[in-house]
Amino acid sequence: MTELDAVVERDLRVIDQTIDRGQATAPDPAQHELEEMVLALGAEAPEPDPAFAAELGERVVAGFPRRRVPHPSLPAWLAPRRPSLIALAGVASVVAAVVGVASLSTGPGGDEMSSLGSNSESSPALSEDSSGAAGAGPRGVAPPSGPSRGFAPGARTRRIERSASLALAAPEDRLERVADEVVAVTDRLDGFVLRSSVSTGEEGASFGNFELRVPARRLQDALAQLSKLGDVRTRTQAGQDITRRFVSVGDRLEGARAQKASLLSRLEEADSDTEAESIRRRLDLTSAEINGLRGQLRQLRLRSNYASVSVTLERANDGERTGGDGLGGALGDGVRSLSDSIELMVRLLGVLLVPGALAGVIWLAAQSARRRRREATLG
Amino acid sequence: MAERVPIAAGDSPNAATFGALYERTFPKVYAYVASMLRDRSAAEDVTAQAYERAYRKRRSYRPARGTAEAWIFGIARNAALDELRRRKRRAELPAEPEPEDEAALAVEDHAEHSVRRAAVRAAIADLEGTERDMVALKFTGGLSNAEIARVLRTSESNVGTRLHRTITKLREACHDRA
Repeated sequence: MTELDAVVERDLRVIDQTIDRGQATAPDPAQHELEEMVLALGAEAPEPDPAFAAELGERVVAGFPRRRVPHPSLPAWLAPRRPSLIALAGVASVVAAVVGVASLSTGPGGDEMSSLGSNSESSPALSEDSSGAAGAGPRGVAPPSGPSRGFAPGARTRRIERSASLALAAPEDRLERVADEVVAVTDRLDGFVLRSSVSTGEEGASFGNFELRVPARRLQDALAQLSKLGDVRTRTQAGQDITRRFVSVGDRLEGARAQKASLLSRLEEADSDTEAESIRRRLDLTSAEINGLRGQLRQLRLRSNYASVSVTLERANDGERTGGDGLGGALGDGVRSLSDSIELMVRLLGVLLVPGALAGVIWLAAQSARRRRREATLG
Repeated sequence: MAERVPIAAGDSPNAATFGALYERTFPKVYAYVASMLRDRSAAEDVTAQAYERAYRKRRSYRPARGTAEAWIFGIARNAALDELRRRKRRAELPAEPEPEDEAALAVEDHAEHSVRRAAVRAAIADLEGTERDMVALKFTGGLSNAEIARVLRTSESNVGTRLHRTITKLREACHDRA
C-alpha cells in the first residue's frame, strides 16, 4: 500500500466515523478540520416540508392509488399510451414468426402442400370454367349453360376432362397387396386399368405405375379409397374444359351429315354418268370426314366421361409413417407425429431467435443510451 | 437465481414492509433529491415519483444486488436526473434559492461557524455535477461507499478514490475562501 493510499484510507475512515458519531473529536488539527467539513456537509441536507411528508406518508400507507389523468379529448380507455419497447419487440417477433412459419410451409414439405392445393377447384384449367364446371363439383354434375354464356354458346352441359395423380408409399411386405387393391378399387368403381407396370427395383425406386380410368362422377370416391391404401406422398388434381372442342366437332359432324344428305339427293337427280361419278367421289370424302369426326367425338366423350388417374406406388423407407394397420402402424405414426412436432418447434425457435436477439440488443442499447443521457446531465 | 424479496430478506410484499423502508429513508432521499435539483417544489414531486415508482416495482428488488437503501436511492437518482434533463430541454431555469433557515440563523451566534458554512455552500456550488452527486449521496443521503458504488454502478474502491478527491477539492476551496 502506498503512502497516498494510506492517507486516502485514513481519511475515508475518519469520514465514516464522523458521520456515525455526529461530532468532531480528533485531536489532530488536519483530521479535526476534516471532521468539521463532514459535519458541515451533513448540515447542508435540506429538510422536507412536514405537510409534504405527511401527504406522501398517507399515499404510501394507501399503496399509491392510481390517479389517472384523463386525456382532454378522449375517454380514458382511449387515451394514448407510450408503447413499451419490449411490447413492440414482442409484436415484431410474433409478426416475424408468422411470416417465417408461413414461409416454412413452402420449404421441405412444400411439394406436398402445393400438390394437395392444386385440386380441381383451384387449378388454372378449371378456373377458366367460371360458368359452372368448378361449382358443379368434382362429380361432374354440370349445370346447364345459358345460350349467351361461355365460349361455347349453345352447349347444354360443360364437358370437363379430369385427371388426378397419386403417389402412394407402403412397406415392402405390403406392396403387392396394395397393388392388387389398386386394381380392385378401380373395378369396384366401374373403371378400368389402362396400363400398369409392377417391378421390384432398388431401394427408393418406383414399385408400380398404374394408369386408371374411372367414371368422372366417381373420381373423388376413387381418390379417397386409393388414398387409404398407403401413405399419400403427393396428390394432385386437374381439370380442363373441352366443351368448345366438343361443340365444334359436333357442329362439323352435323354439317358433314347435312352435306352427305344433300349429295345423296343430287346423286338421285344426276343427269349424266360423269356428274354422278363426281358426286360419288365427294360422297366418299364426306363419309370419311363423318367417320373421323365421329371418332373424335367419341374420344372427347370418353375423356369427359372418364377421369384419368395415375397412381405411383413406391416402397416406404424404414421408420416412415406408413398408414399401415395395427399397433406397429399406430406406433410408427405416433413417432412420426412427435418427430414432426419437434421439427416444427426447432424451426419456430430458429425463426424467433433472430428477432428475439435483435429485440434484446435494441433493448440493451436503449437502456445504455438512456443511462448515458442521464449521466450526461451531470456532466 | 436470486429469490425475489420485496424489501429485505424475509419480508413479504406488502405496504407495511414498504412503509418501513419509507420511514427509514424518506428524509435522506428527499434531502438528496433536493440537493441535486436545488428546487424544493421539484424535489417534492421527484421524491414522490421515486417512491411511487419503487412501490410499483417493489417485487423486482433483489437483496443480492444491494441494500434496499441503495435500491431506493438508485430510483430517486434516476428520477432526479430525468428531471434535470427535462429542465435542460425546456430552458435553463434559475434554481430556486434555498430559504434561509431563520431558526438556525438565530442560534448561529458563532461567527466562525457561520462563515465556514457559507464557504462550504459556495465550495459545493463550484463542484462538478458528478462530484456534487457523490457528496450528496454520501453526506446528505448517508449511504456507505458500497451503497454508493451500487447506485453509481461502479466499484467501492473507485467511489472511495473519487470521494477523497472531492473532499480534498472542497477543503482546498474552503481554505481559499477563508
